[in-house]
Amino acid sequence: MHFLLPFFKWCDSTWLGETIRNSRLYFPVIETFHLLALTVLFGAVIVLNLRLCGLFMKNQPVQQLAKDLSPWALCSLVVILASGVMLFLSEAMKCYASVPFQVKMAFLFAALIFHFTIHWKVTRAEREPRLIAGILVGSINFLLWFGVGVGGRAIGFL
Amino acid sequence: MSNVPAIIQWMQNSDIGTGIRESIWLFPVVEATHVLTLALSVGVLIWFDLRLMGWGMKHQPISQVHKQVMPYAFVGFLIMFVTGVLLFWSEAEKCYLSGFFRAKVIFLALAGLNAGIFELSTKKTIEDWDKYPIPPVKARMAGLVSIISWTAVIIAGRATAYNLF
Repeated sequence: MHFLLPFFKWCDSTWLGETIRNSRLYFPVIETFHLLALTVLFGAVIVLNLRLCGLFMKNQPVQQLAKDLSPWALCSLVVILASGVMLFLSEAMKCYASVPFQVKMAFLFAALIFHFTIHWKVTRAEREPRLIAGILVGSINFLLWFGVGVGGRAIGFL
Repeated sequence: MSNVPAIIQWMQNSDIGTGIRESIWLFPVVEATHVLTLALSVGVLIWFDLRLMGWGMKHQPISQVHKQVMPYAFVGFLIMFVTGVLLFWSEAEKCYLSGFFRAKVIFLALAGLNAGIFELSTKKTIEDWDKYPIPPVKARMAGLVSIISWTAVIIAGRATAYNLF
């Protein structure tokens, strides 16, 4: 038995999880919010990373663009995480058995850590990042978030 | 289903429609591409809409944001459109009969009309707006209508897949 199994079982039996599972409407509605917030966050990720790669608004400082994007991006991240937890609680046992879910979580933790450490530092620095560093950090950041999206979509299919 | 037009029945039963629907990999891959390209089309476009309304990216000149954002949003839209047509093809009868799908088409048309008016008429004075922190009412309305209609397209699209009502 995997050491996380009791945790998944507990999640599956929570009041919130059961309520969502027992309704035909809650899951699709919560998932719609998940998807809308994803659109805004991924849009911001694409815009900022294109700038880092030098493909977008080159005459605007990276730092300024990052600051302009971040309030909306952070709000949508909160919505995504909150709605994501609810969706997870409602089908925790399905997620336990799902390989795409494991892949998604691995990408999610990696993306969050990378986003709020290295990526944050590079995009918030007073000094413009060098193009090569920008391309490296921008493409890693994009690929990590993209992995979260692909993994997430695959949960429903596999 | 006799209440479905012949063309819809033909699409549903054509080799392409059946092939996508019954393939283990094709439908999920086309569907995943359709959903994830949302970020490139609507996700990027929404930043221009927010800028138009004066709600986001206030430090970036509007004409700049427009010039830079649109090519990416347009490529995203093309991918969404092509994958969307393929998805429709594979489930033509279900989509035709779905109230949500009809709502989606209506909001898509609204988004298109709004974009058309903006590109052909409203945009003419875009260079002047760079001087003001908040653009004229017509431009702000274009941003608002765009966000509302694209949000409705996403909601209706998601609901089509669930076949809720």
